[in-house]
Amino acid sequence: MNGGRNRLRRGAVLLLLVLLHFGLRPWLGTGRAAPDFLLLALLIYAIGTRPGKAVIAGFLIGLLSDAVRPVAFGSAMLAYAVVGYLAAWGKAVFFAENPVVAAAFFFGGVVVRDVLVVVWGRGISGGGLAWQLAFWTPLQGLATAIVGLAVLYAFRRWLGVRLTG
Amino acid sequence: MVSERLASRWDTLAFVACVGLALMARALPEPAQEAVSSGVRRTLLAPFLIVERQTGRLRAAYTQADAFLAERDSAALRAMAATGLEEENRRLRELLVLARRLEPGAVAATVLHQATPTRGLAVVLSKGARDGIRVLAPVVTPGGLLGVVRSVDPRTSVAVLWTHPDFRVSAMTPDGTVFGLVQPRGGDPNLMTMLLVGVPYRDTIPPGTPLLTAGFGGVYPRGIPIGTVTGMLDEQVGLARSYVVRAAAHPGSAIHVIVLLGREPDLGRAFAPESLP
Repeated sequence: MNGGRNRLRRGAVLLLLVLLHFGLRPWLGTGRAAPDFLLLALLIYAIGTRPGKAVIAGFLIGLLSDAVRPVAFGSAMLAYAVVGYLAAWGKAVFFAENPVVAAAFFFGGVVVRDVLVVVWGRGISGGGLAWQLAFWTPLQGLATAIVGLAVLYAFRRWLGVRLTG
Repeated sequence: MVSERLASRWDTLAFVACVGLALMARALPEPAQEAVSSGVRRTLLAPFLIVERQTGRLRAAYTQADAFLAERDSAALRAMAATGLEEENRRLRELLVLARRLEPGAVAATVLHQATPTRGLAVVLSKGARDGIRVLAPVVTPGGLLGVVRSVDPRTSVAVLWTHPDFRVSAMTPDGTVFGLVQPRGGDPNLMTMLLVGVPYRDTIPPGTPLLTAGFGGVYPRGIPIGTVTGMLDEQVGLARSYVVRAAAHPGSAIHVIVLLGREPDLGRAFAPESLP
């Protein structure tokens, strides 16, 4: 009974993040440094589930991402699937109760996703690739980490997460 | 212990399957990829794209509210102080934005931005087949050519921008004496530079010369600003020269665009000279 309610609450938080991705990002202009709520939803989902489920969730989010960005179709599927899998495996190591470690977890997710997308995809190369990975990716990772921490603090009971410090 | 081992195997199997499917998706021919994308946009993504479209409209209304109030206040002040307001309004109307000049062969659409790094190469537009948008319809901003529609769904469409590696457009100088082919320069889409290739060796284009669409091929009408030549890149002695071009329309800053639907062969007059960079 309790487990069912927890799943429902977790699902509500994830749905909220997905809605924020489509409902809030347009307010952030072109949003190159705007937080990626979809990736955040995937990482939070991965915290509380097995790698197998996380990789499927990542694959589906990647499919949605590829459908609206028809450049290098399949690259987002691969990237999100790998991020979901790694996040679910690494949560025991990286997702501690320390907020800094949690922020690094979200930041790392954005970096790994972007590296896979630009390396596996095409269209960005040379200086543009370096600029993307050296500037925009860390900036978006930082924004995502900040929002991720805010979400964890706001919904820590619903998500069953304890943060200290 | 056994169940844990089974679960671990299942995790690995799911990972291998998903990665395999992603690799297969990457290897699919382009029409098949587009069919899958379109199916996802019409089903799974449809409600979210509606949310994004409505939010985009709300944002546009919000951002235009200040301008509207400023215009209203300004008009009120002029009405109090100036005579001949009707004449001035008439002249202002003559300077109406590009969309009005292009009517009825144009549809305004909102760009739905995405989060991944390659967002500067293609965009989803908030209008689709129900609004009359068709494949290969040119996409422009008041600055100039931005891209071309690649696929159309009932309510949304996908446009590849001039930064996309597959983008090509025939170009000419304003006097119509020099022709070439414009393509993206590659690298960072935000550098705003294109290449003009295939210019006959006998022709030279001085820096600062604007480039317009030449109208060849039946996709882009003649006369849409593409960009401005900034300098020569290289030359194949006796054969051809290539030039670096600064683009007229910035993909990153485009929030609202115009999709051309008409068959007007020449749009030169619709783009004011000051729209060129």
